[in-house]
Amino acid sequence: MASAEDISALLKRIAQKDRLAFAEVYRATSAKLYGIILRILRRRDIADEVLQEVYVKVWERAGDFKPERASPISWMAAIARNRALDEARRKRPVSIEDHPEVQDIASDDATGLANILRGEDRKRLADCLAQLDANRRQMIVLAYCEGLSRDELAKKYSQPVNTIKTWLRRSLTQLKGCLGP
Amino acid sequence: MTDDNDIDDLAAEYVLGTLDADERAFIAARRQREPALDAAILEWEQRLAPLSELVVAVNPPADTMAKIEARIDGTGVPSSEIATIIELRRRMNFWRTAAFAASALAASLIFAVGVKNFQPKPRQQNLVAVLQKDPASPAFLVTVNVEDRVMTVQPVAAKPQPGKSYELWLIQDSLGAPKSLGVIDEHSAMTKPTLAGYKLKIIESATFAVSLEPQGGSPTGAPTGPVVFTGKLIPTTR
Repeated sequence: MASAEDISALLKRIAQKDRLAFAEVYRATSAKLYGIILRILRRRDIADEVLQEVYVKVWERAGDFKPERASPISWMAAIARNRALDEARRKRPVSIEDHPEVQDIASDDATGLANILRGEDRKRLADCLAQLDANRRQMIVLAYCEGLSRDELAKKYSQPVNTIKTWLRRSLTQLKGCLGP
Repeated sequence: MTDDNDIDDLAAEYVLGTLDADERAFIAARRQREPALDAAILEWEQRLAPLSELVVAVNPPADTMAKIEARIDGTGVPSSEIATIIELRRRMNFWRTAAFAASALAASLIFAVGVKNFQPKPRQQNLVAVLQKDPASPAFLVTVNVEDRVMTVQPVAAKPQPGKSYELWLIQDSLGAPKSLGVIDEHSAMTKPTLAGYKLKIIESATFAVSLEPQGGSPTGAPTGPVVFTGKLIPTTR
């Protein structure tokens, strides 16, 4: 599997319009990005289209990637998530009951999270997530991974939207404090 | 709205993904002119990135890369050709490894010389063309260094033809008749400054063709035998 250094080096070559480097980055990262996009959009036809747009963006913007500011994978994942979220917010909200498979993620189980999130950064995040109340932890994961909006979360947790908003902000602040600088 | 905490809250929720369409568009526009907001967003992306590990990777449809390439440019190099070049590179790496491991000194010397000639300096912009009859049978790999226009021709699977020589030609509308780049060897790599006299623009858009000529090359200065392999250059930096 390509390391972060490998991908960074390939992105540098892509900035010089190197098609081979582009093909290698695609091979190394497309399944991951497609998974992320598909999870948020839940429809293959739209996800396919978004994935294409994301790689066109990677091709055009590889020169903007700053290895000192972000890891290459999280830079690319952010492009994919932003594009998928923009798309998801444009459509009518999808009811979560229509998509029972959405709930199968190990989202509310702190032990499950810790098992999946290995490695130093990941373990730290898992530890900090474990300190949140179960509901709030699940909310963060559902929002991040499944792309649920505040409205959708409000419906799922039978709470007013403003309450959800407050919970999310508090959870994020707590996470930041726990993760430290 | 300019308070640090506000900026951080906005960045956090933007990255989490829970903002609505208008709010997202507003933040996306603001980060372009507010470095503090942009920095906060990048920090949150790093913080929450491990959560993506929870999402199962899914292979995209097989034709996706071809569609992406078609979007990147209308005259995009087909991915089959990219795949061929990657495959050839892989094989050459294998040969290189095999060469170092070879116990016969003579064999390793031949390989080492061949591979050394082929290897350009790292990080230089290069153009590569696969010369082939069809994608299944690549015959030669041509690498051109953009800076000095030195050309390396590496045989891949060209079969020797008794009593005949392979000759390489440069074909481009503005050149008129095909220009000979010399006889090429089906056994070992060769590096030549032959292209130094041509403009980069011409080289980039030209077709490289290999014809089968009498031993020693075309007697007339123009191709006399059948064109057996062709290819065009695509950019790479390795």
